[in-house]
Amino acid sequence: MSIQTVKKVKNIITDKIDEDYLSLFYTSGQECSVPKDEGNRHYQEILEWVAEGNTIEDAD
Amino acid sequence: MTKAAELAKMGEVLTNSQIGGRRNIVINGAMQVAQRGTSFTSQNAVAYHLDRWETSGFNMGDGVYRVDQSTDAPADFMNSTKIACTTADTSQDANNQMYFQQQIEGLNCSHVNFFVSNADTITLSFHVKSNRTGTYSFALKLSDNASAEDNSSTRIYNTTYTISVANTFEKKTITIPLDTNGSTKVTNNTFSMAIQFWLGAGSNRDGAGAGAWGANGNAATASANLDILGSTDNNWYITGVQLEVGSQATPFEHASSFGETLALAQRYYHHIQGGAKTKIAKGHATDARAGYFNFELPTSMRHTYTLVHSGLTTLRWVVEANSEKVPEQFILSDSNCLDIASVYMQHANNVTTVGYACGITLLDANAYIAFDAEL
Repeated sequence: MSIQTVKKVKNIITDKIDEDYLSLFYTSGQECSVPKDEGNRHYQEILEWVAEGNTIEDAD
Repeated sequence: MTKAAELAKMGEVLTNSQIGGRRNIVINGAMQVAQRGTSFTSQNAVAYHLDRWETSGFNMGDGVYRVDQSTDAPADFMNSTKIACTTADTSQDANNQMYFQQQIEGLNCSHVNFFVSNADTITLSFHVKSNRTGTYSFALKLSDNASAEDNSSTRIYNTTYTISVANTFEKKTITIPLDTNGSTKVTNNTFSMAIQFWLGAGSNRDGAGAGAWGANGNAATASANLDILGSTDNNWYITGVQLEVGSQATPFEHASSFGETLALAQRYYHHIQGGAKTKIAKGHATDARAGYFNFELPTSMRHTYTLVHSGLTTLRWVVEANSEKVPEQFILSDSNCLDIASVYMQHANNVTTVGYACGITLLDANAYIAFDAEL
């Protein structure tokens, strides 16, 4: 699957960025809540995507 | 095989192999468990399809393939994985790579001796068929000190197998002496071993040495069939995959039940799907804008997992009787506990009352959530 975008997560209640997780969106419409753990395959995929020159977007 | 040879083979199996328990290191080798679905069209990158099996594609050009759980299978099997080209790539990229693989965590192959002077021999057996005859490339990889599947520190053994008759299932056996080079073996819950069936390799990814261990170069050894995406006529089926210690392939070890294989697979991926309005969780509101839910997982996940779902608009947060909202957040709250997943939904507006019960329902039969701890 191809990554559409990756965004930071903002907790609506606290209005603070959640430093432990990222939101991953695939072009297929699948969405993921990804822990920032280098043993997690989705986080590895995000790191590779960033290494290719892509940027993690700010939270909505 | 003569009677004497059969007895010799039996003797070796009894001497060198595990008699009870699971001999097969591969999970879902019979391709029966398909939590994610049974048909995947428009594939051109890296993705899991049938449980535990991943198809990896890089620099695929115009090539597109599909993956199906097929009911076309040899005797004694119900299913196979079918990979078929649906859009041909007529100009294969020099760096094209495409392979079908299963990665194995260290905890599941810690009993196998490798990276030591008295390393084991390991045997892979499988049933395969294709419209294309000729040689195909296979690779066995071993992680060195937690190196990843595609890392240059990972050790690789390339070899080939041959499909002799078109469109006919044939059983193949590959025996490999494991590496003795003294690298650091992985024995925990991270990547330790991988079996890879190559289906595509461009000119820069072809021609790796065969029949000896070396450093991984993300390349296949030379074979006739490294361009499955070259024609929409091409397809490739596989089932009955068994990897076991020893130099003999024993009969495929069928699980005692479908549930046994499903349970093994759920350590890596747990999928929840139903029909319209299926209630999949209950929780409580901790704020007028937030609800928390726990999912008791069927088995301990391998590692810190991802919450996967079909999109916020396909889910409903049931906040009070007969009142539901499309959540504006659906996030893991805690993925460190490998037995219980904690998640929360949030909405920008006040939609419920603190302490009230709430639930999650699926919009329709296509909606799902899942917890993914695959390698």
